[in-house]
Amino acid sequence: MTFTETIDRARGESRTLLSEVEAKGALAEAGVPVTATSLAQTREEAAAQAEAISYPVALKVVSPNVAHKSDVGGVVLGLESHEEVAEGYDEIIRSVQAAQPSAIIEGVSVQEMASPGVEVIVGVTTDPQFGPVMMFGLGGIMVEVLGDVAFRLAPLGEGDARDMIDEIQGRQVLDGVRGQPPVDVGAIEAMLDQVSQFAAEHPEVAELDLNPVIASPEGAIAVDARIVLAEA
Amino acid sequence: MSVPGHTLDRMFNPKTVAVIGDKGPNYMWLRNNQPFKDQGGNLYSVQIDEKEIPGIEELGIENFRALTDIPEPVDYAIVAVPRHVSPYVMKDLIEANVGGAAFFTSGFAETGEELGVNLQAQLTEMAREADFNVVGPNCMGLYLPRVGVRFNPDVPVAEDGRVGFVSQSGTHSIMFSLVMGANGMHLSRCASFGNAIVLDISDYLEYLTEDPETEVIAMYVEGVKDGPRFVKALRAATARKPVVVWKGGQTDAGARATMSHTGSLASPHAVWSGIMRQCGAISTNSLDETVDVAKVLLDAKPSTGRRMALMAMTGGQSVSITDAFVGQGFEVGRLSEQSYEELSSFFNIVGGSYQNPLDMAGTVQGKREVLERILAILDADESVDALVMEQSAMFGARQWKDHPERIDDLVDTLAGHAEQSVKPFLMVMHPAHEEAFVSEVRLKFAERRIPVFASFERAAAAAARALPRGTRS
Repeated sequence: MTFTETIDRARGESRTLLSEVEAKGALAEAGVPVTATSLAQTREEAAAQAEAISYPVALKVVSPNVAHKSDVGGVVLGLESHEEVAEGYDEIIRSVQAAQPSAIIEGVSVQEMASPGVEVIVGVTTDPQFGPVMMFGLGGIMVEVLGDVAFRLAPLGEGDARDMIDEIQGRQVLDGVRGQPPVDVGAIEAMLDQVSQFAAEHPEVAELDLNPVIASPEGAIAVDARIVLAEA
Repeated sequence: MSVPGHTLDRMFNPKTVAVIGDKGPNYMWLRNNQPFKDQGGNLYSVQIDEKEIPGIEELGIENFRALTDIPEPVDYAIVAVPRHVSPYVMKDLIEANVGGAAFFTSGFAETGEELGVNLQAQLTEMAREADFNVVGPNCMGLYLPRVGVRFNPDVPVAEDGRVGFVSQSGTHSIMFSLVMGANGMHLSRCASFGNAIVLDISDYLEYLTEDPETEVIAMYVEGVKDGPRFVKALRAATARKPVVVWKGGQTDAGARATMSHTGSLASPHAVWSGIMRQCGAISTNSLDETVDVAKVLLDAKPSTGRRMALMAMTGGQSVSITDAFVGQGFEVGRLSEQSYEELSSFFNIVGGSYQNPLDMAGTVQGKREVLERILAILDADESVDALVMEQSAMFGARQWKDHPERIDDLVDTLAGHAEQSVKPFLMVMHPAHEEAFVSEVRLKFAERRIPVFASFERAAAAAARALPRGTRS
């Protein structure tokens, strides 16, 4: 499904929030590295899709009305086999139904798990005065407590992505602390540029979160994605 | 000098100025603009109130009962009539093809009441239709120091203004002009633009970008109406000259509903400062910061290097100046071996030190040739990007009062160094107990283009913001 079709479908259903599977599909289409993610609607589909991805995999509930997936038992991580995936599928359906009987469950997404690294956040929001704005920050406590983030107008110009990364107070975390290897900062820059291009080309996107993006010496990959469309 | 062909050029370079509706007993606007007349400009009054006219004529200013009666083309008009009269004045301004008019008159949309809002809409429609240049309303209008057009009786008339200032606040435009003057710096042109019904911040910014007299642009902004246009104008400006943006207040973003983490983190302040960096502008948060940054931009050589040589007179001051500069991210490191070798040959280390920071009163002892020697060593040192010297009025004021030639000699020594050096040189002179005296002394430094600051912290903050010039290239 192309992004235009996804937008049409969401609007047809009077939704502004895209599902994680939809958001990742759109970003992958735009060349943004995201973890392989597909929608399974039966335990057998989930197991078959996991075989196509390399283990371990993660499963997450796909629902238009579940706001925080892990709070309702909608996330299972680190599944290592065909059998574990099938059981994990059933477990998610059971837990979510029990925790939130009103939940509309479309299925479960089967996801590649990123190798460990530094969590960062890449986002887009729409400023009422200036239009689409890009954000970069370190994930976890740095962004939650300290608000250690940098903003620039989209689309980013040459050097802007690097300036955003360098502006962060916790910048040195990316160079490796406590024996960690330095992450591929160039890959984060490339992701910021791609996302900024995506935002500039799609004014329908009002807000976007890639949170977290896992940055490592091998690159940067978005593990979770959220897209909010502008009211039509 | 002007910007030929620019739509704002007539009002920014007026030969004839009309003041409409000024009243006694003070005749504030006519008095403010007396220097314009004294310098040969045509200054006229327009007033129909018979009892006001004798007072106007006593000032030696010719009064007309209608704007359209003035024989010369009016380049700039200052409107100070009651608000309900303003549409009639607007009609005459347009008919007389005036170059531009500032409406000091207030009581428009800023009141939030229906009459004011409607009057503003009426003025806007009239002016837009006629493509007429309106400054304001609800503003102090233009300050043109070279030709003597002023918005306040105390702001200087000056030929040598190099800083253009654009302000959303009338008070800040006056205070900035006064404080700049007290620091020996003058404005090239200034616009206080109030409600900005026709001309907005980007129009003034574009003019100052073109204006050859304006070397540095400074702005006071609370919010902008047309974000994309402002960004475009700002980028064009920073490509030509340094721009300082003093942001006041929090932009009203309203209660924005957001479904994203990014949206919840996007405070107006954070977004604004990111955009300023992206545009290559220098951000400040106060009047003093803006004045300090202007000093560095006007008179210090640019440098992206962060290695400072700090020269203090005493031990305590050498610690404090280091704290201030390190606190702003500068490095205060070792000098070269050659510098140490040369300094060790004459430095008095009893009660002094030639490490970096230098503690040097006991070595210099007011001797010009010793100070020159130290400056030359630091200037030649390749591990030094910039020099900062402190001389507090605590010890200096007494001897400078007794021997005025000594302060002149110090200024001359430092200026001699700074003029030939490619490295930035900053001076810190804490006024200590001698505020009034130092306010005169610092003008001597300014005259010789040495940026002088009242504290280490202010010097360090201004250096951090402005030495790299805020440009991206």
